[in-house]
Amino acid sequence: MRLTQALKRQHIDFMFKKHWLVQGKRIPIDTGVEKKLKDMGIEVQDALEFVKEKREEREHIQIIGPYEQPLPLDKNHPNYKAKPCLTLNQDNVLLEGLSQAQVLTKTIIAQDKLPPKIEELSRLPAPAAIHENVKKAILTANVFDCEQKKLPKIKDPQRPAYNFRRILGITDSRRNQILTNKLLQLVEKTSDREVTQNKYVVNDVECTTIFEKEDDLLQFQDVSNILVTSAKPVQHEVEKDIPFVEIPSLYPVKHTITMPHNHFYNNTSQYPFKQKVQVKHPHTTWLHFNRTEVKNIYGEPVTQNQILGRSLTHAFNVASSYAKQMHGEDVKDLPEPIFVNCIQTDGQLYHFGVLQLNTLNVDGNEGIKNVWYCKNNMKLYDSSRYFSGMPVLENYNNKVYGYINAFYNS
Amino acid sequence: MHIIKLHRSLLKIKNAIPRYSTITALEESEYTETPEYPPILDMTREGKLLRRRQSFQSKIQELNTIEEKQIALNMPRYYGWQCIMLNNDKVPYNAMPLVQYYTRSHFIPVAKLPEAYNEIEQQASNILQEIKPQIEDAIAIELTDVERNFKFLQDKSIKMQQEDTITKCVVRQINRIIMNNLSDNLPHILSTQIDYDARHEAFWHIGGVDPPTTTVKWRKENKWPKSTHYESTDRPVQYIGSPILTLRNRHPLKPLIPYSEAENPAFKVDKFTTIPGSVGYFREFRHGTNIPGFWPGDIDEFGLLSYHGRGHILDRKTSFGEQDNIEALHCQAMKASFGWLLAQANYQGFTTFNDLTYPLVTQTVITNGKLWSLYAYQLNTIVMHNDTVDSNPKHNICFGTKPLQLYETIENGKVLGLNEDVLIMLLQFYMNAPVERDHAMKPYLGKDEKVIADIEDDNRRCWLEERYKYLVSNRPKHSLIPEVYLWEKIYKIQHNTRFFEAKRRPFERGINPFNRRLDDHISPYIPKVLREYPRSKKKFEATYYPEV
Repeated sequence: MRLTQALKRQHIDFMFKKHWLVQGKRIPIDTGVEKKLKDMGIEVQDALEFVKEKREEREHIQIIGPYEQPLPLDKNHPNYKAKPCLTLNQDNVLLEGLSQAQVLTKTIIAQDKLPPKIEELSRLPAPAAIHENVKKAILTANVFDCEQKKLPKIKDPQRPAYNFRRILGITDSRRNQILTNKLLQLVEKTSDREVTQNKYVVNDVECTTIFEKEDDLLQFQDVSNILVTSAKPVQHEVEKDIPFVEIPSLYPVKHTITMPHNHFYNNTSQYPFKQKVQVKHPHTTWLHFNRTEVKNIYGEPVTQNQILGRSLTHAFNVASSYAKQMHGEDVKDLPEPIFVNCIQTDGQLYHFGVLQLNTLNVDGNEGIKNVWYCKNNMKLYDSSRYFSGMPVLENYNNKVYGYINAFYNS
Repeated sequence: MHIIKLHRSLLKIKNAIPRYSTITALEESEYTETPEYPPILDMTREGKLLRRRQSFQSKIQELNTIEEKQIALNMPRYYGWQCIMLNNDKVPYNAMPLVQYYTRSHFIPVAKLPEAYNEIEQQASNILQEIKPQIEDAIAIELTDVERNFKFLQDKSIKMQQEDTITKCVVRQINRIIMNNLSDNLPHILSTQIDYDARHEAFWHIGGVDPPTTTVKWRKENKWPKSTHYESTDRPVQYIGSPILTLRNRHPLKPLIPYSEAENPAFKVDKFTTIPGSVGYFREFRHGTNIPGFWPGDIDEFGLLSYHGRGHILDRKTSFGEQDNIEALHCQAMKASFGWLLAQANYQGFTTFNDLTYPLVTQTVITNGKLWSLYAYQLNTIVMHNDTVDSNPKHNICFGTKPLQLYETIENGKVLGLNEDVLIMLLQFYMNAPVERDHAMKPYLGKDEKVIADIEDDNRRCWLEERYKYLVSNRPKHSLIPEVYLWEKIYKIQHNTRFFEAKRRPFERGINPFNRRLDDHISPYIPKVLREYPRSKKKFEATYYPEV
């Protein structure tokens, strides 16, 4: 009920309150009694001194609430360090995208090239029944799921003040979660039992890696939406004579631009699996790109190049946190390269990548470098939605499933 | 012009006077050997009201599409029904009699699954030997060896959320292992869809419950006959749940017991007429929704298995006792199974007014990773509104086990004392293959139009699609629900202090503002520039509400 409505109607309480206020501030009239009494030699004392209670200083009690309050972020916080750490988390992107990621991780890129085994496996034809199920998964994620949550506001640049009706529907995080999980389930169901037995799948686990680069302390911290691990480390045979994209110079931009300073961090890297687990070796990591959650530091829309950079930093994060768990926190050049497969998707576009981690010494541009094999921007479908009241799936591309299957079975 | 008019009127006259030959033909057919009397209609007040209700129910049955039927169910109430809310994660003390009556479920406590599962028991135990080590490893890894940073909401108890999130991880692993191992041998596994955190909602009417005191008061004030003051009314019920994981397929499961057994008087459920507020189930204004986790039009429309968490048990008072906690799990299973199956039945064209013509079956698991309760549920009837609640002989049947412990402890990353019986039963649930039925599955849906997407008229299809989604989203109305303000209650109703004012409010004019149909509103205005060329006097856009 709106308060003003009631106040307009019935003023009795309102008036009474005001009257009480006025009456409470009455000024006593001087009756002349005080003077007369003084003349008679009787001492006059202020009544308020006897009536008014003296204020006691009370101790501040810390009331225990239903939930534990988070510790205040100040110098007494257990994680506080004087030296700031430049942190990149999953909601942020690098300004210069892929080239900045290259500099940070000291990586050279093999564009549009994946290890030959993956290319070979991806060409194996899948039965029609499987493609039917993939189509079903796409439709479920985009059309038939019943989530009805507020989608981002619609803005018309021509008239920015106009308020459109807020549309309810499937949020991008839910859509990606459904689609990627269903695709992986399908791949697993059609794979051999021996392959699936040696793999393990976890959802939403966090990896953190902390390292130094040219006197700066850097930290990557992000969530792997699906992490497939295996009983044996994944190995790839790679070609050597490929035209690599060398590490570019970012001048005049510094390579840590748009990585915010953070004084609260742990000194050690973190890999979600404990060391004793047999199936801990990272195999494929799936990263979701949710446009509503991932933003530039000043809120500008994310560009295609920045999305590609995200794949590389994420794969580096998973691989290096695993490497540090295996070989210790101070390891630099690895005795054996570590491979991690990475698939990033916004539901429609798929970016495949394989990281070959050779070194964790990321200073400078010389010496041993890491290698990133990638194949980007593969479209799974053109559009899938309710179009004029009918569910629609346009231009399904069956090649993407081949790559997902190849990544799992490689 | 005049000639045309004259010609028309002549034609009318011609039709009005039948020709001689037709009259004789009529006369001949008018007489039959045995007299045919028109049906004798009950013209009492109750009889008329019953006929009105029956015509509403039969009109819903005749509608073609699923979505139109759902809109039709909500037609009588513009502001939504005042539903009794049966939430999945809240079971008050001693709720079993209420839940059984509201879902019309006979509960059979069992130690093993019903007879229908006996065939696959041996096969299940063979498969178990292969996957047992994998499951043991997965449980140990999930509970001790993976580090996760959970983020919890502030408005629910942390203990409950912690248990539910860990359960979610364990259930996903066990489901993954079983599905991957069975997919080679069983063809139905490949086409089965797995959903995480689906949206399950169901809406129905329950009869035979005492009317609320406000209704009795209203009846007395409006001079209803004395005998009708305490007559029970239809009470709308809404179930809302969100299972951790569900499996669904394009074919339904086989019935657990023959359909004829549904009428067995041994399965009769006791009446529970006390108002639901006395147990702890309260009311809320909302439109009734039936959603089994997907929109109409998906092929995989029959549920096989659903997993639910049991974190809410931790939130119950210890004074409720162990026995009541077990009953609370049974209640949760009955609500979840009935709710999901009812929503599925609604997608087959049946509603709370048009009964099922065949049984539907689902399987439900309630777990926290360590304790597992397994339930098998057969839905035989969904009609239990006030007119049929006593005359309907059919009942639903729920078989359920007590919470069974899957393992004893985890030491040094190894699971100790694994209870194989639980896993065998779980495997039997997965191996219970759905089969195509040989009878009509959707007798009350149209031949060509089964969902809105099948409608040919573009305007009608788009309008219905938008209206349906808007209705089931239950988003707040653009204007507030009518209410009697407190000051009005004091100064106008309880004490007549403002007799000089014009009487404009609904309660002053004897109007019930809630007695408003869903289509009782003005549709959007069409500005003149947008009207049809050359001259259209149609000022308002068309609406396509189902006619019920």
